[in-house]
Amino acid sequence: MIHLLPSRRRVLALGMAAMLPPIAAKAAPLRVAAIDWGMLETLIALGIAPVAATELIQFRKLAVEPEVPRSVTDLGLRGTPNYELLRIVAPDLVAISSFYEYQRPMLERIAPVFAQTVYAPGVPPYPLAEAATLALGEKLGRQAEAKRYVDETSVEITRLRATLPADSGRPVFVISLGDSRHFRAFGRDSMFGDVLRRLGVENAWADETSYSAAAPVGLEALARVPDASILVVSPLPADVGRALPENALWNALPAVRNSRVALLEPINHFGCLPSARRFARLATAALAGQTHG
Amino acid sequence: MVDRAMTERATAGRALSPIALWGLLAAVAALLFAWRISTQWPTAPAGDIDLDRIILFYSTLPRAVVAVLAGAVLGLSGLLLQRVLRNPLAEPSTLGISSGAQLAMTAASVYAPFLMERSQGTVAFAGGTAAVLLVLSLTWRRGLEPVSVVLAGMMVALTASAISAALILANGDYLFSLFIWGGGSLVQQDWGPPIALSTRLAVGAGAALLLLRPLTILGLDDASARSLGIARHTSRFLVIALAVWMATTVVAEVGVIGFVGLAAPALATLSGARSLGQKLLAAPLIGAILLWLTDGLVQLAAGAGGERIPTGAGAALLGGPVLLWLLPTLRLLEWPNLGTSGTSPRKAGRFIILLLLLLTLVAAVVALIVGRGPAGWSVAGGEMLADLAAWRAPRIGVAAAAGAMLAVAGVVIQRITGNPLASPEVLGVGTGAGAGLTAVLMVSATAGLDWQLAGSVFGSLAVLIAMLTIAARAKFGSERLLLAGIAMSALCSAVITATIAMGNSQSYVLLRWLSGSTSQATGADAWVALACLMLLTLPLFLAARWLDILPLGEDTARGLGLPIAGGRLTLIVLAAILTALAAMFVGPLSFVGLIAPHLARPIGFARARLHLAGAVLVGALLMIVSDWLSRMVAFPYELPVGLFASLLGGPYLVHLLAKGVPRHG
Repeated sequence: MIHLLPSRRRVLALGMAAMLPPIAAKAAPLRVAAIDWGMLETLIALGIAPVAATELIQFRKLAVEPEVPRSVTDLGLRGTPNYELLRIVAPDLVAISSFYEYQRPMLERIAPVFAQTVYAPGVPPYPLAEAATLALGEKLGRQAEAKRYVDETSVEITRLRATLPADSGRPVFVISLGDSRHFRAFGRDSMFGDVLRRLGVENAWADETSYSAAAPVGLEALARVPDASILVVSPLPADVGRALPENALWNALPAVRNSRVALLEPINHFGCLPSARRFARLATAALAGQTHG
Repeated sequence: MVDRAMTERATAGRALSPIALWGLLAAVAALLFAWRISTQWPTAPAGDIDLDRIILFYSTLPRAVVAVLAGAVLGLSGLLLQRVLRNPLAEPSTLGISSGAQLAMTAASVYAPFLMERSQGTVAFAGGTAAVLLVLSLTWRRGLEPVSVVLAGMMVALTASAISAALILANGDYLFSLFIWGGGSLVQQDWGPPIALSTRLAVGAGAALLLLRPLTILGLDDASARSLGIARHTSRFLVIALAVWMATTVVAEVGVIGFVGLAAPALATLSGARSLGQKLLAAPLIGAILLWLTDGLVQLAAGAGGERIPTGAGAALLGGPVLLWLLPTLRLLEWPNLGTSGTSPRKAGRFIILLLLLLTLVAAVVALIVGRGPAGWSVAGGEMLADLAAWRAPRIGVAAAAGAMLAVAGVVIQRITGNPLASPEVLGVGTGAGAGLTAVLMVSATAGLDWQLAGSVFGSLAVLIAMLTIAARAKFGSERLLLAGIAMSALCSAVITATIAMGNSQSYVLLRWLSGSTSQATGADAWVALACLMLLTLPLFLAARWLDILPLGEDTARGLGLPIAGGRLTLIVLAAILTALAAMFVGPLSFVGLIAPHLARPIGFARARLHLAGAVLVGALLMIVSDWLSRMVAFPYELPVGLFASLLGGPYLVHLLAKGVPRHG
């Protein structure tokens, strides 16, 4: 079995042609695969349908927009993408983020890897997402589209900011619920936190983001800022529907008592500019609906 | 009422009497609690929004009450199970009750959310009951012999958690849920859970008192119980149902808190509680103190961004060392050892080895050429095979080598200890490798692979030597060694969990290590793994005489002129390196090291060389097939390889047990 190993870098040969899409002509745009969800949404935003991407079932549920064309091949889990399938799809470029650097040696056997850092502890991600968008546009010969998308997003956020009353002055928590007792907070080094700041809203969570691998926080931490409003990013875990309305501390929070809690549609937590835009739109709508509170 | 017996048995050479020790620990817990309250005491005059008061009343107070109650409930549940099964290792975790409850809750969340909305507790109880019934029915024919029960329990627990993990993995935000449920968080915002737990504790304690006489008799052997006219099965099942009901409430309300149910009754006995009445008082009390103190410390260590360690993991961090320290003085009911099953004649053994070799090769070839692609199933050949082999062959090579290494380590450890349940996984050697890896990563987040490997080897070696020292001091009692193994395993896992909870770059390295996948295997990895396997296993074949003789006991070995100390140390070092290497490649969660030596037993237990060869082949075969299935079943999604290793090997192992293989003293 092992004696076949040396054929590692063997170029695509005739025998496989039956299973593979035809080799792209030189002028045709690059065929790109995305391991990172942020790269996936940016690609679609630039008008490029990737040939393959990861965890599309979850993406359609949790990130929702932009819509992923049916033609995109699902590569499986982000952490362990199906390299064999990716090899068969044979993209010209694989777009990842710094989270997936460890996959680089494997991916480079298939195609050149394009990596951007958008999320780093303690660093607001929005400027990094702008840079990543421009860099991706540069790489794919879509500089104009990339520039336009960056500008449009910035204009959109400014426009949305203007729709919020300037004097509301309330800080806002942006959280997602782990179960009916724990939440994850989005701080200034998250996309939601950074966009919140750009909307001119104070983030009630002063600490850094508690990301998925970090310990979740008990709901009582929300009581530290009594006059804050709360934005809960969907989806809600199964037990929340029953247990949260019975949660005495939750019900005692001023935000809950005064109906300053809003549930947002699902948004990609680790997204790029399209997610930033989606969050800005949903958050503004939710906050505008409760400013009287 | 407990003090006299306790002081009498207060172990020689230790100044502190157990009562004083537990009193002191309780005082520390109370002090931590008082300090916590003092920092939160409302300072503002009562207004209409007094959040200090709300946090104190709805969070701080119920949390302390839950810690005390959950600890007591688990202690009582563990004690009842241990008593009624006459098994010092029985408890909600080792019997698969917690994992069964967790699996039921996970499955319900995914497929029937309305069930979870209606009653989480009922779902958890159903899952826990199913798990324990499965364990009991599988081991019924062996007369519920403790080692078999725990073995079956561990297999059920392992499989259930693997399925839960796969379900979570395939359906959403796995890390978050994994952390809350896997770690057991005591965060409270309500008086609901304390009320639920206190009714369980009250009913449980009341029923236990009513059943005091039957329980005392059930603690004796069957014959005595029968002659005393107890309706054995009825009362047994009643008590088990009671214990399951209590334990699954804890799972439903706060998540899986392992270890307390195991440690509290053991610590009660070690602290001198002798009669059942004393134990019924001491075990819940000790459980309560243990969890309350742990929770106090966990909150003390918490930063603004959340708690660093889930309380469930913290309990193991605190209770593990105590249990390990006290263990040699624990007196356990000795049971006859699990039989060394019948050996087939030499020729038949050789034939089976050849057959296994053939099967392994066939499996490797199938894994290499059969696969799924965008167009469905396909059998690769020619150029296409050459191309795909570059991806498939390294995985097959790494999986086979890792499986074989774990199997060899298992054979060595089982033979050194003379214990059929000992294995790298059960004794915590695999998680020890993880603790060593953690230590290296803490010193330098960018440590290279060589340092990581060195750390893993050191960790597993340290754990293995500690285990064997404990075993030697206690003259190799089977249960005692396993108890120590579970404690050590829980301790090392807690270290890993706590590091993962820090959420930094080390966390991701550890998470990847923990999830164990052959996905990143390169050709070089495969060659290195196979070379290591050869290099480390060949000496064992040459030293097969040691392995033949060691299970017969030290005296025999010495009589035959074997250099005991040196020989044993060499074997231990080899087993530790093999385990650490395998864990580097496929993670610590496969249990192949337990299963493969067992499956290979019928081939030639009497002759170490045949046993080794058989185990190597079974281990490699299991991992090749598991790796292939993990890639095929949910294509293109790749599932954890450990899931299939336990799904394939577990049932067969349990079937061997259920067959009631004849025992030889």
